[in-house]
Amino acid sequence: MKHGFYFLLGLVGALGLSWAGIVMGSNTQLASLPPYADDTDTSPPWFPGEAARGEYVYKDLGCSACHTQQVRRPDFGSDVARGWGDRQSVARDYIYQPFPQLGNNRVGPDLTNLAGRRPNPPDEEDLMKLLYEGHGGMPAYKFLFEQRKIIGQVSDHAIKPSGAAPIPAGYELVPSRRAQMLVAYLRNLNTTSDYPESRPIPAAGAESAGSATKAKPAPAKAASGAAPAPAKKATP
Amino acid sequence: MNAEVTAIDSLSRRPLLLLLASGLAWLLLGGLLALIAAAQLIQPAFLADCSFLTYGRTTALAETAFVYGWLANAGLALGLWILARLGGEALRAQNWIVVGTLFWNAGITIALIGLATGDVTGFSLLNLPGYVQPLLLVAYGAIAVSGILAWGGRRRSMMYASQWYAVAALILFPWFLSVAGVMLFWSPARGVVQAVVAGWYSQCVWTLWLAPAALAVAYYVVPKVTGRTLRSYSFAALGFWTLLFMGPWTGGRHLIGGPVPAWIPTIAVVTGALLFFHYIIVALNLRDTFAAPGVSLRFIAFGLAAYLLGGVTDALTSFHGLSMVTRFTYVENAEQQLALYGAISMIFFGGLYYAVPRITGRAWAFGGLITGHLGFSALGVVGLVLALAVAGLVQGGGLLSTEVSFAEIGELTQPWLVAVLFAQIILLFGNILLSVNFLATLALSQKAEVAQFRAPVAMEVSAS
Repeated sequence: MKHGFYFLLGLVGALGLSWAGIVMGSNTQLASLPPYADDTDTSPPWFPGEAARGEYVYKDLGCSACHTQQVRRPDFGSDVARGWGDRQSVARDYIYQPFPQLGNNRVGPDLTNLAGRRPNPPDEEDLMKLLYEGHGGMPAYKFLFEQRKIIGQVSDHAIKPSGAAPIPAGYELVPSRRAQMLVAYLRNLNTTSDYPESRPIPAAGAESAGSATKAKPAPAKAASGAAPAPAKKATP
Repeated sequence: MNAEVTAIDSLSRRPLLLLLASGLAWLLLGGLLALIAAAQLIQPAFLADCSFLTYGRTTALAETAFVYGWLANAGLALGLWILARLGGEALRAQNWIVVGTLFWNAGITIALIGLATGDVTGFSLLNLPGYVQPLLLVAYGAIAVSGILAWGGRRRSMMYASQWYAVAALILFPWFLSVAGVMLFWSPARGVVQAVVAGWYSQCVWTLWLAPAALAVAYYVVPKVTGRTLRSYSFAALGFWTLLFMGPWTGGRHLIGGPVPAWIPTIAVVTGALLFFHYIIVALNLRDTFAAPGVSLRFIAFGLAAYLLGGVTDALTSFHGLSMVTRFTYVENAEQQLALYGAISMIFFGGLYYAVPRITGRAWAFGGLITGHLGFSALGVVGLVLALAVAGLVQGGGLLSTEVSFAEIGELTQPWLVAVLFAQIILLFGNILLSVNFLATLALSQKAEVAQFRAPVAMEVSAS
């Protein structure tokens, strides 16, 4: 290799090709992915304001170091079998999230559908206690709470920890603003919408039951999105 | 290249030593942070009340200090030194290196403060808050100017393999950092495109920056120490271009089974297999390393073995069946540590043991500490990677079954995570030995005799 110019051209080509292919390719395919509209509603829903701000808290505390937010399809791992969701996550689930927190390690459970857990999804009190006391491998995030003297009335938000460290008499334990936003976010984590591309691909010849139970129709325009092809009704 | 130490080395001394010294400081800090993170995995309550050090933040801090603190500084020092030597001139624009290094380190400091106070990005290998990236780009550019001048003004128009790798590493990093910066921080892409860009970026860091930087060192030091030309050298160019053209496409292997179009992970699996050509050629070119004497080459041989093994495991864990078990487990941490520590860092250690006596004109102060560092590093890396891999397989097996709860998985992985902690302690201890030796060499060591340079193997271990 003698020619510096061709060498540099090669470097540009190596980076440029992969950029054009992977970065711009996926961007072209997914950047304008529309929400899915049927007769009554469009989905995915936006997070309500408080929950949307909670996503920042989730990100900045580094929750994604231990929790994923992506459900894999039923035949790939036990995500669905563990009750983390009824279907695999698809690109459209994330279009309104400023920072999709897909995560890389499952030290703790997947949280994609935390608010839709069956039979009993955790309520606000459960989550506050979990954050304050920790549980098993999850540390306690005590710095998200403030223990303060009761002046006048007890705060509406005050929580009563059940653990070994009770709050002294005359004091109350109040979640900070950040804790409230984080819990609001966690209580909105639920992908209930059904998209054409999120339906399981039926095995050849055994199409009937799986896709027939899904209610929503699949208009052609929405099917141009990502990943697996939508289940099409076989002509008899 | 008859003389072992030339004016090229002595005139380039100050900026290179500044880079190496700052790299070592970050290495120690990163090791300490990795230790804290390992302790938190075993005992979640450890430092849990300190909001700056949640587990998510500690791991981000440790990774950034290690990659952008230690590996970047050390890689730049070794790369610039090699480009200067092969170019045949002392480094030019040295003030640029010094100023650039100071600002680079200031940038890393700001990044760490940012991460600790709430700017974790959640992207693997890109835990740099958006606001610090322009500063890092400018600082990196200032340092790289000198390398580009050394390459552009080289005395022979022909280029050696280690120049290809060094120049590629030097030139490409600012490009893909700025692309990622724009698409993830300044004007964030929509939804999961962010995950695709982050995967592409992390693979660029690996195959277009760190791996080329390490291979530049290996391709330079190995023939120097063995005194023989590289074997099968005519294949080297193919190996180089395979890495550069295929490497970045493997980014999607972090998204197998994820909510992205299937073509992204599929291309990653295919290009991951094509990268075998690169690994085979590197193994062919550098196979003399494994039989050669000298501590520098012991480090480099270990690093190359880890590099080749890492290539194989990366390709294997991309396969559907294995990925189902290993995805979202500590196996991925094991692969990352094998690559970053086992391969890159060990090769840099080897380069550093070879370069410092030549840059300073002094023999290493304590030969025993070098052997100690080699032993602790090898033991630490093997222990760390094995413990993480076993913990990950246990975790992956548990996750696959719906019967095993997270508490049970935690109990099953606990002993292996304790082993991880011990491995981190060993690694940190080894790096303290290196730092002590480095400082002592600068402060105490005598000027080396010419004879010591003529017998480089003896010099590397001599405690003069």
